This record gives sequence, structure tokens and C-alpha cells, in this order.
Amino acid sequence: MDDDSMKDPARRAEAEALERLLKETEAVRTEIRRAAASVDWEALPGLIADRAMAEDIRAAIKGPAPRPLAWLAWFRMKPALAGLAAGLVVGAAAMYLALRAPDGRAGRDDGYYASGEFLDRAELEMARRNTVDYLEKSQYVLLDVFESAGDGPGAAAALRSERARDLLQKKKYLNAQLERFQMAKAKAICDQIEMLFLELAQIDSELPAAELGRIRGFVEERQLLLKINLVKKELQSGV
Amino acid sequence: MSDVPAGPEAGAAEIASLLERIQAGDRDAYMTIIRLYQKKVFVMAYSILRDREDALDAVQETFLRLYQKAGMYRAGSSFQGWLLQMAKNISIDHYRKHRKKRREWETTKPLDEIPVAAEPARDGDSAASDLRAAFARSVETLAERQRMVFVMRHYNELQFHEISEAMKISIGTAKSLHFKAVQNLRKRLAPVLGIEP
Repeated sequence: MDDDSMKDPARRAEAEALERLLKETEAVRTEIRRAAASVDWEALPGLIADRAMAEDIRAAIKGPAPRPLAWLAWFRMKPALAGLAAGLVVGAAAMYLALRAPDGRAGRDDGYYASGEFLDRAELEMARRNTVDYLEKSQYVLLDVFESAGDGPGAAAALRSERARDLLQKKKYLNAQLERFQMAKAKAICDQIEMLFLELAQIDSELPAAELGRIRGFVEERQLLLKINLVKKELQSGV
Repeated sequence: MSDVPAGPEAGAAEIASLLERIQAGDRDAYMTIIRLYQKKVFVMAYSILRDREDALDAVQETFLRLYQKAGMYRAGSSFQGWLLQMAKNISIDHYRKHRKKRREWETTKPLDEIPVAAEPARDGDSAASDLRAAFARSVETLAERQRMVFVMRHYNELQFHEISEAMKISIGTAKSLHFKAVQNLRKRLAPVLGIEP
């Protein structure tokens, strides 16, 4: 914007207005920076890779999706081949009718076919195992909080906080499975544990006695450790 | 986004080799690609969705799709452009699906259960807050291509050639869409900015 144009009050107002407008984009950029700062970028690649590999294995079990009549497209441009194929089909049908034995039906080889029901059961089993694993690891972290009694080294607190963050990431992955298979009881207890871990993840230094007392009170009031054991047993026995 | 720490840029040969290894099921190669581009994809997704959890879902979805479609990348074209285009499409789909759900949720929930998105404005801030709210609404109502170019240019801080790669349009079209977006925003915000429409 040159000096002459800036002398015109209307143009100056316009320029200032556009400047204010584009300044608003800075507020959004700040919001994005804040959101990005709270993401665990170290753990995310591992989580995504686990999911991708799991889906890959699932797809391999299911096999390629059937494409009905896809082979017809190959013949579209080749009438001679289409005629030959039709001849073969008619000939084979005639041979079959002429020579078939009354009970001569051969079995079909289905390769890697697995039924939808089987896959559902496999996924439910996986969800159960993942939940038991999550509950077990959570139990260790909670017991660790109780045993530390406020006088342990700072490094232990940092490690605990890291383990809590790790379990929070796992919980995010677990949510979909818990909801899909309507494991309401397991979800309720996992949600309560998640609330505790959200607090623990913030604390890198040793817990003050008052804070420890509050967390212990929360765990005892809700009989969290007992409930974890009960839900774990239920899941392990496949109830 | 200059302050969001991004991974170092990778060369075309390095990317091609990583993608080849991903197709062979190499987990390390896959994680390397994710580490390199996860922040850029997050910024793209967040710019569109404006929600941390939704953006993280879109990031996961983008890299899962990359895992399935690694073989479809054409060497010679910009990998970042290709990946961001994928992220943009996934985020837009996510936005469309969830916008409807969010509206339903907001209308069926009791009033006290609806989260308050913004703190009430303090006295001195009310004008700035009005402009902010009006600005956010106006960006939302821009035509989709204009909105995407504006978002990529100002939130993702991409250059026009990067925008053209991600949106599969020419650089001239990208610049023209950006100009129209700014003009439309100016027109819609004229009353709040105190200028002639």
C-alpha cells in the first residue's frame, strides 16, 4: 500500500479492517498450537501402527472381497473368447448331465474363508483380552501409588506419570471395542480409572500427602481395586 | 504452522523407499512416515474440525488409509500434497458426518449439559470477542473450496504451490479462490469491522 493511497481515509480504514480480519487467523493458529502441545507425539505412531497391522491381519483372514461377475468385463472386448467360453460352459453342462453319478458331488475348498460370526467372536475375544490387560496394568499403577506413600524418589513419580499417560492412550483405543461389544460394566470401571490417570499423568514430581490421601480416598470409596478384580475374573471366565 | 514443531522434510527418494517398505509390511518404515508428517496432518485436520479428539481421529484415519494405499502414490508428485489431500478429504467427511450428529445432540441435550464453548467476554474484550465469533462463523459459511484455500493458507501456513498440490488445482485457481475468500469475509464482516460493505 503506497503513501498516497494511505492518505485516503476510506482506503486506510479498508486496509486496517483487512489487517484486523487477518489477525483473527492468528487466534486460530494459537488454538492449534495449544491443541498440538497436548498430544503425545511419541506414542501416536506406535498406536496407529498397531491398529494398521491389526486391521491388516483381519483383512487377510477375511480374504479379498468377492467381485460378482467381475470376470465378465474381461470378455467385453473379446467376442471370440466369449464365444469359446460359452461353448465350454454348454459342453461342460452337457457332459455333466450325461455322465453325472447320482451322489457324485465333490466337496468345495473354501481356502481362507472365515464366517462373519467367527470373526465377531475373535474380535470379542480380543476386546476381552485387551480389557483384562488394561485392568491389570492399571492395577499395578494404582498399587504403586499406594505403596509409594509420598517418600519415594522423584524418578518413580515421573515413571508412574508416564505409565498413566501410556494407559490413557490405550484406553482411547479400547473405548471403541468396549462400546462395540457393549461391555458396559468393564467400560464403567475403565472410565473411573481413566479419571484417576488423567490426574496422575499431570504429576511428574512426588505426590504430596494430601493429594495421595485424596486419590486413596477415591479408590477406597469406590472399591476400585476390588471391582477391577471382579471385572477381570468375569472377563477371564468369558461371562 | 511455524510454532507447531514439524518433523524434518524427507527427500523424494527416501519417501519412495519408505513407501516400498510399508507395502512389504515394514512397521518401522510406517512409523517413520507417521513421525515425519503427523503434525502437519494434525494441523490440517484441526483447522477443519476445530476439535482435538476429532482431529486425532482424522490423523489416525489418514495414516491407516496411507497404509492401505501406499502403492498408489505416483513417484514424482509431491508426497506431502498427496497426504494432505487425503487428510483434507477425511476431515471434510468427518466434519459433515459429525456436524449433523452434533446438531442433533445439542438440540436433544438438556441445556445445563451442553458445554459452554467460550468464556463470557470481559468488558474491554467484547468488541474483539464479537469479531472473533463473527469471523469463525463467516469462515464456516464460505464456499467449500474458498474455505479450504483460506484455511490452508492462513491456519496451515501453506504456500500456494502446496495448496494447489493438496487440492489438485492450479496455482492461479488457488490464488483466485483465496482472493474471493478474503473478499467474501470482508463483505460479511463489514458491519463488525466498521467499514462499507
